[in-house]
Amino acid sequence: MQTGHDSANPIQVLLVDDNPGDTRLTMEAFKDAKVHLTMHVAKDGIEATEFLMGEGAFVGSPRPDLILLDLNLPRKDGREVLAEIKANPSLKTIPVVILTTSAADVDIERSYMHHANCYISKPVDLEGFLTVVRSIDDFWLSVVKLPPGEAA
Amino acid sequence: MIIVNEASQIELANLQTEQMFGYSRKELLHQSVDVLLPAGLRAAHRDHRAHAEAPVNRREMGVGMNVVGLRKDGTEFPVEVSLSQLEGVGERTVIASVRDITGRREAAFERAREMSELSHSNEALEQFAHIASHDLQEPLRMVASYTQLLAKRYRGRLDADADVFIDFAVDGTQRMKQLIQDLLLYSRAGKGTAPTHEFASEEALREALKNLGAAIEETGAVVTYDRLPVVNCVSSELAQVFQNLIGNAIHYHSESVPHVHVSALSKNWEWEFSISDNGIGIDPRYFERIFLIFQRLHGSADYKGTGIGLAICKRILQQQGGRIWVESELGHGSIFHFALPMR
Repeated sequence: MQTGHDSANPIQVLLVDDNPGDTRLTMEAFKDAKVHLTMHVAKDGIEATEFLMGEGAFVGSPRPDLILLDLNLPRKDGREVLAEIKANPSLKTIPVVILTTSAADVDIERSYMHHANCYISKPVDLEGFLTVVRSIDDFWLSVVKLPPGEAA
Repeated sequence: MIIVNEASQIELANLQTEQMFGYSRKELLHQSVDVLLPAGLRAAHRDHRAHAEAPVNRREMGVGMNVVGLRKDGTEFPVEVSLSQLEGVGERTVIASVRDITGRREAAFERAREMSELSHSNEALEQFAHIASHDLQEPLRMVASYTQLLAKRYRGRLDADADVFIDFAVDGTQRMKQLIQDLLLYSRAGKGTAPTHEFASEEALREALKNLGAAIEETGAVVTYDRLPVVNCVSSELAQVFQNLIGNAIHYHSESVPHVHVSALSKNWEWEFSISDNGIGIDPRYFERIFLIFQRLHGSADYKGTGIGLAICKRILQQQGGRIWVESELGHGSIFHFALPMR
């Protein structure tokens, strides 16, 4: 089953990142994306959970098709958010891409143990970062067939 | 030297004894040897003498024991005492030769202090490197990314000055990034998780030459080597040392094609390796400085690099109990030597 995504029915991406500089950079990079997408931003782990549950300030939020998750977040850590998503039957089919500055082996290993769909260390320079975002766009949003959204 | 009779009385003391303990010979004569001992040691000493079987063979009181001497002014100092029987006199008359070992103790303390300082500075460096790799990386990434984004979007759309300013900013962030990466390399150098083992040092050299393949090909460098010994260290670290030294020898070449020769000889329980080249050479006044981290003798326009290679060599060799030094004359090539302890 192919889910069609166009300007009327864009892909919903949830970006969980506490650094506004990184958030903006990710959004800038996705501006050239091939697919139509709507980017939602959660600034910490609590906001991410609220968004996914449609609670608090996020009542009526759409179910994301893809989650870009940073690990080091205030209030609630990205590692916790990942564990929660993957333990929740109605959320666990959403692909989670870990996008973080950490390149620590322990973070990589634990993320995969908690069923992260892939792990990416943010490159330091812009070209590297743009390449990473382009690959996410190419692979996760174009090549890969995502699970049909439950709410969509 | 002190002669002590059976009743523990001092029969004779020499000039050194006077100087060491601060008494005149007169004052010491016929005194109990107790005056030269701190109060806390006297009973033990009497006990020791009472139980010592005659004849007293030459034995070292100081070996493995904390023997302390008491000066006339009440100060104490560490001593080593060796005893021998004085033949033909009283049955239990002994000669004690007393040596002040304050200096030796201090040297040992000094060594221990240096070792603990090295380990503290290693810890501090590791901590700093950890901060550099994680916490400093974040803001650096912001500055680097956004100056690059500015360059990408606005080059040629502001004025000529703006383009130059952006270029300087971008260049600065790139150098900063390289410095942080090099600092990380440096902090990890010689702290390899790999165990030391015996191996042919030629293997490490070949590994280094393989990694330098592109530079060798590009410059047409000729690298030769003699028979090299079996050593006991971490092979990847020795390969790194070879790579940095030979890499430098090629990098800092003169007008002529680089020639590099590696040799080794055994000297005072060490293997001494030498890497000689026909490169630009080094002014002797920089012999110390070149081994410090991020110290460079040339502008980055002439020779690229952050100045990490020799610092890494030095650190690796230090951690292995070795040394590194250089012989050179400006314009006449260099010979880098390093020594590895034989184990």
